[in-house]
Amino acid sequence: MKQNEQPAHFKGKDALSHVVEVQAKGKLATTEIHGAETPGSMFAAFDAAKDVSITLFLLLIFLYFFDFTREHTFAIFKAFAGGFLFWKFARATWIAWSRLERLHRVVEEEQTEIQENREQERDELRALYRAKGFEGKLLEDVVDVLMADGDRLLREMLQEELGFYLEENEHPLLQGLGASVGAFIAAFCVYVGFQFFHYYGAAFFAFLVIGVASVWPSVREKNRAVKALLWNCSFAFFSSVIVYQLLQYMLST
Amino acid sequence: MKSIMLGARRRDPFVFHSFFEMGLDESASPFLNKRGREISKNISFKAALCAALLLVASLFVEGHLSSIILSSVYLIVGIPFLINAIEDIFFHRDINIDVLMTLAAFSSYFLNAAFEGGLLLVLFALSGSLESLVTLRAKKALSLVHHLAPQKALLITGEGEYQERAVEDVPVGATLFVRTGELVPLDSVIVEGLALLSFAHVTGESVPVGKQKGDEVVAGARVLEGNLVIKVTHKSAESQVAKIISLITEAQHRKPKIERWFDQFGRYYAMSIIAISVCATLFFTLVMHLPLLGSSGALYRSLAFLITASPCALILAVPTAYLSALAIAAKKGIVLKGGFVFDAIEKCSLVAFDKTGTLTEGSFQLAHIEKVTESNWTEEEILSMAASLERYAVHPFAKALLDEAEGLPLYSAKSVEVIPGQGVEGFLQYQGKGLEAYIGTPDGRELTVEAKGLLEKRRHTGKIVGLFEVGEAKVFISFEDKPREYIKQMTEGLFQRGKKMVMLTGDHRKNAEKVAREVGIFEVYADLKPEDKLQKIEELSKKEGLLMCGDGINDAPALSRATVGVSMGTIASGAAKEVADCIFLHDHIEELQWLFDKAAMTKKIVRQNLCIALIAMVGGSLPAIMGFIPLWLAVILHEGGTVLVGLNAMRLLRQ
Repeated sequence: MKQNEQPAHFKGKDALSHVVEVQAKGKLATTEIHGAETPGSMFAAFDAAKDVSITLFLLLIFLYFFDFTREHTFAIFKAFAGGFLFWKFARATWIAWSRLERLHRVVEEEQTEIQENREQERDELRALYRAKGFEGKLLEDVVDVLMADGDRLLREMLQEELGFYLEENEHPLLQGLGASVGAFIAAFCVYVGFQFFHYYGAAFFAFLVIGVASVWPSVREKNRAVKALLWNCSFAFFSSVIVYQLLQYMLST
Repeated sequence: MKSIMLGARRRDPFVFHSFFEMGLDESASPFLNKRGREISKNISFKAALCAALLLVASLFVEGHLSSIILSSVYLIVGIPFLINAIEDIFFHRDINIDVLMTLAAFSSYFLNAAFEGGLLLVLFALSGSLESLVTLRAKKALSLVHHLAPQKALLITGEGEYQERAVEDVPVGATLFVRTGELVPLDSVIVEGLALLSFAHVTGESVPVGKQKGDEVVAGARVLEGNLVIKVTHKSAESQVAKIISLITEAQHRKPKIERWFDQFGRYYAMSIIAISVCATLFFTLVMHLPLLGSSGALYRSLAFLITASPCALILAVPTAYLSALAIAAKKGIVLKGGFVFDAIEKCSLVAFDKTGTLTEGSFQLAHIEKVTESNWTEEEILSMAASLERYAVHPFAKALLDEAEGLPLYSAKSVEVIPGQGVEGFLQYQGKGLEAYIGTPDGRELTVEAKGLLEKRRHTGKIVGLFEVGEAKVFISFEDKPREYIKQMTEGLFQRGKKMVMLTGDHRKNAEKVAREVGIFEVYADLKPEDKLQKIEELSKKEGLLMCGDGINDAPALSRATVGVSMGTIASGAAKEVADCIFLHDHIEELQWLFDKAAMTKKIVRQNLCIALIAMVGGSLPAIMGFIPLWLAVILHEGGTVLVGLNAMRLLRQ
């Protein structure tokens, strides 16, 4: 097949449009389910802490409306917290593993493309480096150098075309472990708050955990900490208001 | 040539080869950090161990907590099997051993025998992870051969510029430049230059060979001396090295007869066992009026039968053993074209050797110094002068000459020029005079008829003859090939193993017998042309299994006719490579003893594995269906057999 006759690979687009489309695909493949944060056990821990603290606080609001004894309330709280804690661990692990599987599939597809559609990969590289300001003979030299080494080419395509970070991710089990640590700390804080200061204590600790778990990652990512704190606490507060008011409304009618 | 640096990196870049070669295994993932990859190593084994610990823990707690722990065992090791079983049934329309085991384990859970089911899953997972471990180690060992193939070439463009290209991008007819120390990237023909090339990298041939314009060179050969401009004759996928790599890859899929039979057998057997279990349940309930549920019920007995009769161990018994043996052989640089070659080697009681390059190693010794023209120099002086010139060369003859001249005075030389593939020229400073001198091949030099006759005579006796010219004097310096270092021990070793040995050679009887005596072979067939060799091989292999070791294209017909053809470092010879059953990537022929031992051990382990598997199956299934074996014992018998078979096969991975 001639060099410029590859609609099957580019799907009718030119090399640059194809690269833009693939970059979007790469971004999607690297994205965590809970946002576009850097994947890692720390972030999984903060995310799980926020989830667990608000869920347990909402559960306590729910239990408040029924005449459970204090012992029963604690028993329900602990059983629910145990199950939810496992769910957070399993879910975080599963998400990280699915993501890894997805990334492996993408890298395999890229490798196949490099081996079977070398001319098209050359066009993609040309488009990428032209967009970076390379032109003429220098552009061709860059493309030639990159094409000469299979490993280097694949690395370049993964990083430049798909926007992947190589050798950066933690193992899915560690991400799951991070999530369960975060979930446990959150559950423990809400439990201690409830144990000593009843519903107000639980509310205080739940919002404290949400606040800390929102501020810390935003500081690390150099985002605005106050914005993160207030938005997340507001979301949690609004959720609590919905549960409280709806329960009051539904149980009174 | 322009050198363009792109994005300097903090650390060594990730190498993708191993990731793909290991079948996208997580432990080689390019996305995980180092710690992540460490955690991923043998993760199925770690999961099985974790489940085993949980299973044990469930014995020490009671009631609901025990149920939670047992459920976690089903979650960790049961769900992966359940996924595979459902996919096998609905997507691949296959009922296999995995389906059988999963059915048995999950049925146990609902028969109030969750512990037994958990035990079955844990042991099944352990045996599965052992199998994965063997396969992964084998894949790692086999992936080493990929490093034989050159990856890049230096292309000379139409404008005369040099450009680095991946070998895949180099078309047939392209002109390449290869410098001293580099590998020839593709099968090519030399269009410019002279060079001394080493084929040790690909063929195991230790003697470097001089190549010049018009000569063919194969991918993977290393240029020791000189620069070459070459024209590509074959694409990278068609090169000799690529063919060898594909041979090794194919070998993993070429199964011995017994293994092929088991592949067919497994599916029908699994379906039969399920059918028998269903029939037995109906029979016990309807005819013998046993209760359906409970530990003495019909379903319990059928389940115990289902577990013990499952042929996991039998199915694993053969492929794990052959794969382990193939992997360890590849790691030692011995490529076999499939597990069946081990069976054939084991049957061979007669070993036939070619002489030159197989029994002898090509590490030459000085044999004679013969004056072709009259001169007053003594042999010692000639040796001294020849060595003085030859020290500028890297050819093995030079080493032999310098070894011989040790202790003798060496003279200085001026205007020395090394002509790759030819020899060395220069002016020797002898007694204050500058004498014009040459040492190297006599081919192309001016010689008298008598000298040519003497040259032919020497060559006829298997000697390598070099010409030394100094001033007006001409001297022939003969070298002879010496037997390989450990050849005597090898022949003794083979003799102790009850193998008979013969030598088949095209050399003269006298020379052949001399070498045979030195190496300890008593039956010699000399003066054989390739067709005579073939006839002799046919004759000998009619009586008993014959293993033939050869090293060249002339041995190819004989290699193809022998029970097992072993090609010694002849990868570059397409014909020999195609016909041989076993290829040594190095020239350590003494490894033949190891190969015989490994073949015998493989057969022994396959037999042991089959016995273990059959005992576990037959010894367990009959009492199980009669109700004499509880579910937990059925599980132990079945999975114990499978684990034993896996561990036994792994013994073959030891060198």
